[in-house]
Amino acid sequence: MVETGNTGPLHVLVTSLSLRDEVDPEEAALLEGLTFRRRLLRKGEELVAQHSQPSESCLVLTGVTAREVLLDDGKRQITALHIPGDFVDLHAFLLKVMDHSVVALTDCEAAYVPHRELLRVTERSPHLGRLLWLSTVIDGAIQRAWITSGGRRSATAHFGHLICELYLRLEVVGLASDGRFNFPVPQNELADALGFSLVHVNRTLQDLRATGLVAWKGSAVSILDFDGLARLSQFDPTYLNLVRMPR
Amino acid sequence: MPRYYIDSSDGSFSHIDSEGVELTGDEAARYLALDALPDMVREVLPDGDQREFAVCVRDEAGRVIYSARMTLAGAWRENDPAGLDDNPELDV
Repeated sequence: MVETGNTGPLHVLVTSLSLRDEVDPEEAALLEGLTFRRRLLRKGEELVAQHSQPSESCLVLTGVTAREVLLDDGKRQITALHIPGDFVDLHAFLLKVMDHSVVALTDCEAAYVPHRELLRVTERSPHLGRLLWLSTVIDGAIQRAWITSGGRRSATAHFGHLICELYLRLEVVGLASDGRFNFPVPQNELADALGFSLVHVNRTLQDLRATGLVAWKGSAVSILDFDGLARLSQFDPTYLNLVRMPR
Repeated sequence: MPRYYIDSSDGSFSHIDSEGVELTGDEAARYLALDALPDMVREVLPDGDQREFAVCVRDEAGRVIYSARMTLAGAWRENDPAGLDDNPELDV
């Protein structure tokens, strides 16, 4: 759960990293002491632009963001969805020149942390360095799951798999519970994330609703039977690494 | 922008679009409808030899302004003398 109280905005990062390993108070203080600038972004605005060379990395504080690749004919693929607590653009720290952009799918708030700050913290605490490294490794694991879904799963299983994934990711940061979460991302954006045509998103959603496992109305998603949906989608949460162990 | 409704059927499951989508015009609606066909085909093949896939676009008044169909016609050719030729079916 995201703890509220006397904690700074970067506490969501501590929460997110603590899911996978113990973050001791000294490390937590280092993270929460990172200097950053806070930025509010409107739906559709870019957090990071393709081919730019950012000197800071952004962490999602609220809202949903996506990593996207645009093609010349106007088509686009969303290659990742990022939620609060995700250090969405840790990649730029090492990539330097961005090969993709990051865009706000809903109004959102992000913290931009200067790379020199990340350098300072990771040199002070190699363990934090490993945990930040882990978060990009998990981004890679999610990408593998998406590639498998897109290449080999049925549309229903693909969509179901994404719903299971989003639920678990949102649940651990306190944004989902009792099988329910809010996901105010329109269907054309879902189409770009799933690699479906817009019509097929509607068809697949209708198919999923007919199973009785999921209800999706407006932006309110309800998983009525998580185990059933996980079975249908062959969802195995191992790749999300939601296990606390020494890293 | 005008609203369009795109219905689709893969031969066993029909989807009647009740929400619709706002688009720049008829051509964009046609594009979206045709874009759905390969998705449906990929989903159900190979499953049987005969199948009809269909999409249609309705405008705000409920009038069908565009429709398209894709047909799967599969057949075994062992007792067919034409099967001795070099794949005449692939001649286009």
